[in-house]
Amino acid sequence: MAASLELSCWGGGWGLPSVHSESLVVMAYAKFSGAPLKVNVIDNTWRGSRGDVPILTTEDNIVSQPAKILNFLRKQKYNADYELSAKQGADTLAYIALLEEKLLPAVLHTFWVESDNYFTVTKPWFASQIPFPLSLILPGRMSRGALNRILLTRGQPPLYHLREVEAQIYRDAKECLNLLSNRLGTSQFFFGNTPSTLDAYVFGFLAPLYKVRFPKIQLQEHLKQLSNLCRFCDDILSSYFRISLGAFSCVNRYQQQIDFGEVHSHDSTT
Amino acid sequence: MLYCISTGEQILLSDNAASLAVQAFLQMCNLPIKVVCRANAEYMSPSGKVPFIHVGNQVVSELGPIVQFVKAKGHSLSDGLDEVQKAEMKAYMELVNNMLLTAELYLQWCDEATVGEITHARYGSPYPWPLNHILAYQKQWEIKRKMKAIGWGKKTLDQVLEDVDQCCQALSQRLGTQPYFFNKQPTELDALVFGHLYTILTTQLTNDELSEKVKNYSNLLAFCRRIEQHYFEDRGKDRLS
Repeated sequence: MAASLELSCWGGGWGLPSVHSESLVVMAYAKFSGAPLKVNVIDNTWRGSRGDVPILTTEDNIVSQPAKILNFLRKQKYNADYELSAKQGADTLAYIALLEEKLLPAVLHTFWVESDNYFTVTKPWFASQIPFPLSLILPGRMSRGALNRILLTRGQPPLYHLREVEAQIYRDAKECLNLLSNRLGTSQFFFGNTPSTLDAYVFGFLAPLYKVRFPKIQLQEHLKQLSNLCRFCDDILSSYFRISLGAFSCVNRYQQQIDFGEVHSHDSTT
Repeated sequence: MLYCISTGEQILLSDNAASLAVQAFLQMCNLPIKVVCRANAEYMSPSGKVPFIHVGNQVVSELGPIVQFVKAKGHSLSDGLDEVQKAEMKAYMELVNNMLLTAELYLQWCDEATVGEITHARYGSPYPWPLNHILAYQKQWEIKRKMKAIGWGKKTLDQVLEDVDQCCQALSQRLGTQPYFFNKQPTELDALVFGHLYTILTTQLTNDELSEKVKNYSNLLAFCRRIEQHYFEDRGKDRLS
């Protein structure tokens, strides 16, 4: 297809092309299916929208949300699932549902709700990617959105309390990681030797958890013990994303500053 | 003792599905149960969700914890599965919860036609005015918030039906020509799928599109019939709906 495909998404750091799970899923899928994607990283200028990232723009379409973007790419004949059987396609749907229900709440919590992590790592990073004064508002909004999602899907009505669900969501996430590890076994990818949609989703969810350096890391510790999942992420990074990592070196410099605590948060809304 | 919301007048599609799934599971484990229907079952439950079982002095609600509880007492349907199969089973159960259950909730609470004609009336039926309206609106607001949080807020009915179709297709492909999802023995996945599909097929709504979607897949229909015959009609126990 001659249409030019542009993807707007959050940028990378810590060795990843993007630290945002959903953006990473789309980028990985594009690499697997060979779709020629031009990646526009959200930056300090006022260009592009920051709302529902990741967003795919072509000449006549704007598509948001990873599932819809992947569907769109498939319709454009960039299909990474070409060799899967019907049953494997069904399994893909099921495992994606598992990821969203069991793993996502804990990932959201680690990034956006856990105060140490949020204030020392997540918020400064995202605030550095967007221009002032949006940098004061948007991270807070994303954090509240994450908390909302966790509470509404896991909390007990009518009073939603975080404490009660925290233990449960981490337990579920650890179980989910174990299940994924069992399913992957010693294979290179989830369905044989070529990566597919499920690999893109698993990579998208696991890689940020694996690579981003947080103060509070119980889930990361658990992930690091599952060596086949770590090997899976590293393999994909080195095979599919090696060339583009150089482009993110300027962002990496800022990363190191955050890691070593040199950057002090200068917005007064903390 | 299994508690659920009273059938006939008050019960809603999604709650009926959940209750039926638990009943099917317990029947499959060969455990005798007595079904009790109460109008305020939702408030009696420790987690606010029906159905729940009351055994001795313990109360356990929702299929997941009930399965764990029953397993701790020594009955389990999934012991014969290996690790990979257990992972698959859990994944498919999440798929059903994620897609079918959410679609049922969407249809009941976010689709204006259904809400007006059926849901509001049913949900509030045991309570006097104005409590019935207040409770119904409160629940609707709560469900709408949840839909918005998980990204279903902007979906149209057609998109929801398409998701249901995709889910049924996945289930149908996984089931293939086998009698149960993991060949000869039923597991909690079979109970869950049966609960949802049977209720979708047999509940009267303003439009039949949801059940039409399920009817497209003949092996799923055969699956429901088989479980119904085997576990419910043979025992001559409680009526199903």
